[in-house]
Amino acid sequence: MSIIDTIRTANHNLFRNKLRTFLTILAIFIGSFTIILNSAINSGVNNFIDDQIDMIGGKDYIVITKAGAMNSMGGAMMNMGAGTPIEYDENAQAVSFTKNDLAKFESIDGIDASSIDRQDSGTSYTYITSEKTSKKYQGNGLGIMPAGDFTIPMIVGDIPDPETKENLIALESGYPKALGYDKDEDIIGETVTLGIKDEVTGKVKEFKAKVIGVQAPGVVAFNGAAGTKQLVKEVKDEVEKYYPEAKRNTYYAITARFDNSKYTESEIKQILEDNGFEGMTVSDMSGMIHVFFDAMSVILNIFGGIALIAASIGIINTLFMSVEERTREIGLNKALGMSNGRIFAEFSIEAISLGFWGSAVGIILSMIIGNIVNNLTHQPGGILEALPTFNLFNFTIGNILTVMFIVMFIAFLAGTAPAWKAAHKNPIDALRYE
Amino acid sequence: MNTVIEVKNLTKTYGKKANAFTALKNVSLNIYKGESVAIIGKSGSGKSTLMHSLALLDKPTAGTIKIDGVDSTKLKGKALNQLRNKSFGFVFQQFFMNPSDSVLENVTLPLKIAGIRRKKRHQLASDALKTVELTEREKFKANDLSGGQKQRVCIARAIVNNPKILFADEPTGNLDSTTGDKIIKLLFDLNKDKGVTLIIVTHDEDLAKLCDRQIRISDGTIAEETKTKKGKK
Ligand SMILES: Nc1ncnc2c1ncn2[C@@H]1O[C@H](COP(=O)(O)OP(=O)(O)OP(=O)(O)O)[C@@H](O)[C@H]1O
Ligand SMILES: [Mg+2]
Repeated sequence: MSIIDTIRTANHNLFRNKLRTFLTILAIFIGSFTIILNSAINSGVNNFIDDQIDMIGGKDYIVITKAGAMNSMGGAMMNMGAGTPIEYDENAQAVSFTKNDLAKFESIDGIDASSIDRQDSGTSYTYITSEKTSKKYQGNGLGIMPAGDFTIPMIVGDIPDPETKENLIALESGYPKALGYDKDEDIIGETVTLGIKDEVTGKVKEFKAKVIGVQAPGVVAFNGAAGTKQLVKEVKDEVEKYYPEAKRNTYYAITARFDNSKYTESEIKQILEDNGFEGMTVSDMSGMIHVFFDAMSVILNIFGGIALIAASIGIINTLFMSVEERTREIGLNKALGMSNGRIFAEFSIEAISLGFWGSAVGIILSMIIGNIVNNLTHQPGGILEALPTFNLFNFTIGNILTVMFIVMFIAFLAGTAPAWKAAHKNPIDALRYE
Repeated sequence: MNTVIEVKNLTKTYGKKANAFTALKNVSLNIYKGESVAIIGKSGSGKSTLMHSLALLDKPTAGTIKIDGVDSTKLKGKALNQLRNKSFGFVFQQFFMNPSDSVLENVTLPLKIAGIRRKKRHQLASDALKTVELTEREKFKANDLSGGQKQRVCIARAIVNNPKILFADEPTGNLDSTTGDKIIKLLFDLNKDKGVTLIIVTHDEDLAKLCDRQIRISDGTIAEETKTKKGKK
């Protein structure tokens, strides 16, 4: 029997019992649908993160901590807890930098000493307001442009140069409108007021800052408003006014630029490690974000996997019933000289076809739904209106083919037992079967 | 004369232990090339069992079967499939058709298994259906035919591959005498014109007498072997 005939016969047999086949395909469809949608969202999000990181740059940016401190830092950066709890250490000071550490650090080859920033990561303010509104809005944090060749995407204007001896600020998107400026560009050159409330005394101190830019929204954007060192220091001093002396000038993390034409990321990290420091680059940070989404993806894929296991049992059941029903036909085929291999192939192809149709329907439907959702999120009022380049669901040929192949392979595996049973029937027993 | 099938001390036991039933006991016989042999006997005497054994569809419990001098135990896998597919033609006691397929599709089955191309096999199947006078039923679903028509489709399927040996289990069992006679004529024409060896299982004594030889089975043993005198048929 030719391959074409085998495939044709298998597909013909498949649709003999339409309802049963339909239900089996439905089960496979549910599993494939879940997995393909999930891999599309995973790819969409990861793509977006990569895009954002590529756009922002900062390939020579590195955050340095004392060895052993990175665990908690990493957790803090991702805003999702530290992971493994770190045992409390009475000598906790050990993780902050000493003067010696700093001197040692500055002399490390490959680190741009002039770029070293000990300002720690920034500070926070209580509220922000302007002359155009009586309302006050909560602040999201205030920092300086980090060392590194970053290009923070802007709607208008610039990020202040940290060294400028003036109180300059670049706000986050959304703030100009809230502060009473219809268009983002209207706020450029205007003065805003940052308020700091002392939690102990309840007293409020206000600082003025001139707006020179508005940042574009983004997932991996600069976290908070960006100011000059001068502004950040004033605010920070006010915030830390009542901190004990020892706490005021300690640094837990330092940022710097490294010479990325001389050392790769892993080389510079190794150099730092040899000196008792730990380094974290932009790709490490984006790696953490990826890990987070990948973990979510694993959970969703487990659901899809469970659905597929259930579907496989459906395939096994369908094919066993089919073998039973077609016992006499199998007997006849064998009596007429069909080989065991062909019979096995026929049932296997039936199983694979079930997998094919189930996954094909799953893919088509998930693509339709994914594209509708993508469109909806970009409509005015949609959650991704401001991010036109971000498609929540990203379907790639590679993903689609992989899912199809896996589903068809699982279907094939499920079909092996019934197919083996069919192939090894004794022709006469099969012919005598009533 | 050439021996095509040589059977020695064939015993066939079904089931095991308490349920064991010996359907054939120590049967020895030869089938010669180009002859027509009738296997006759009462219902349950073991005729079908013998035919299935001769056609290597069932393995003997004891004894040997040689096809063209080759021991059946040596015929396995591909060789056995080739033999069944190319050299044998079968008409089974039941019809064994795929009811939802067309008449034509049912007849093409042995050719499809042989890997013959669609166009060619449809042509051959059409020819076979013409011989059994069912040309106008080609496109019908097999299920929609009368009993006699189904029987004729089975015969068309058995001859479509130009077999050397034709095994027919009650080929006229479901037919009225006119149609039955036509089928009988068809089988004997194949026997005479193409030299096809005929092995016909029947309890129709008249049909048996048309054959060169009659082998009477009783309780799983050969009770009697008779030859038809030349010129009588
Ligand atoms: N698979 C089996 N298991 C047990 N006994 C069997 C089996 N197949 C056949 N038999 C028995 O073997 C005996 C011979 O059966 P067989 O089908 O050869 O009879 P037959 O001569 O063809 O009868 P009929 O004319 O009714 O077709 C019967 O008694 C039957 O019950
Ligand atoms: Mg019988």
